[in-house]
Amino acid sequence: MRTLKSKSVLIAGLLALGLTAGIKVGAHHSFAAEFDGDKPVRLVGTITKIEWTNPHSYFYLDVKNSQGVVASWGCEAGNPGALSRRGWQRGDIKIGDTLIVDGFLAKDGSHLIDARRVTLPDGRIVYGGTPGDGGPEDTQSPPKP
Amino acid sequence: MTFVQLACQWLADTAIGTRIRESDNLFSVIETVHVLGIIVIAGTIAIVDLRILGVLLTRLSIDAVLAPLVKIAWLGFAVMASSGLLLFWSEADKLYSNPAFRLKMLLLLVAGANQWAFHWSHDSRMPAGNAPNTVPRWARFAAALSLLLWTGIIVLGRAIAYL
Amino acid sequence: MTLLQACEWLGSSWLGTSIRTSRFGFAVIEMAHLLALALFGATLLIPALHSFGVIFKGSPPGAIARDLRTARLASLGVMIVSGILLFADGPLRYYGNAAFRVKLLLIAAAVLTGSLSRFMGEAKFAALLPLTLWLSAGVAGRVIGVL
Repeated sequence: MRTLKSKSVLIAGLLALGLTAGIKVGAHHSFAAEFDGDKPVRLVGTITKIEWTNPHSYFYLDVKNSQGVVASWGCEAGNPGALSRRGWQRGDIKIGDTLIVDGFLAKDGSHLIDARRVTLPDGRIVYGGTPGDGGPEDTQSPPKP
Repeated sequence: MTFVQLACQWLADTAIGTRIRESDNLFSVIETVHVLGIIVIAGTIAIVDLRILGVLLTRLSIDAVLAPLVKIAWLGFAVMASSGLLLFWSEADKLYSNPAFRLKMLLLLVAGANQWAFHWSHDSRMPAGNAPNTVPRWARFAAALSLLLWTGIIVLGRAIAYL
Repeated sequence: MTLLQACEWLGSSWLGTSIRTSRFGFAVIEMAHLLALALFGATLLIPALHSFGVIFKGSPPGAIARDLRTARLASLGVMIVSGILLFADGPLRYYGNAAFRVKLLLIAAAVLTGSLSRFMGEAKFAALLPLTLWLSAGVAGRVIGVL
């Protein structure tokens, strides 16, 4: 690649690539782009699936709405280490348990919330988020609907 | 599912992959090594690139800077490749379809090719003891490209978590 | 004004609010923090290796550290500015986090020892101490997310 023109084209192309990569990142960073801080949600449902994994844990609930229609919802929570340090161990929830989960709705409208506050079957309330993810303050709980 | 997809699923489902993925602390430790390891690979390479571009360490010849720092960068590569492999192992199925991961791997290949091309050209064509104003244009181009690629690699690496 | 009040003020200021509500802001700032970390770390690591006689054996003690000083200070500047902006996104969240508090202490110690390193007789110690403190600060930063 000897000519100045072809080098310039290559550099321009790579800059565009780099900027595109940056924009992709921005569109999905942690809390603010994935979840809507203005759309608090409360889910009450039975657990159908548990993924106690890094970097995020997920549990899925069957939630009955006011018309009696059951829909499956996903809840995203922190990693196992973080959760266990708040007293929420792997075995504390089982499939079939009822959970109350307060969180914020996913921006893409899918049935996904991030679990800000979880009421466990034994009545304990735990914080489900990941510190430093850019979401609403730990001291702020989503308003009860 | 393609064969590669199936292989990635199998890998993630192995005992080792599962152990890392469901761990309390192991995943975080491996991830921290991987994140801080960018210092050893990308930071070192950036300093080499900046020397070639005449920005710093100009007291020393390019050859004098290349020799030790390339070795350190290789050490960094070993750390990043092993920690990266373990991270991949734990969520191979998800990473396979993650566009940031795919693009990052592509950029790594391109960065490697760029580096190989530079060394091949350097060994045959760069006179020893370069002063900054005698660095050939292709060498400066390779250095600038390297900085751009490694910036992209780091950015994409972070983007994996959010895509 | 207490420290807690200062944090509350920063979080609800124009700066904190813009970053928190921006879709791209936090991520872009985080990226800058990470890129600066790569270069900054290398400007500490390479002089440390030199001080132990591993590389650049022909250069006199402290010479490599001096050669990389501008790059070291520039990348540190980017880290500090981006770090403050990341903090402004949600000061209260970090205020109560033990790992964050430890990280700040380690940063203070690292900056202090770094600026005093030219007065340290033993080059190995002068290079290794800030490097160790900064690496520990980096680890503490990672621990923030798992507490």
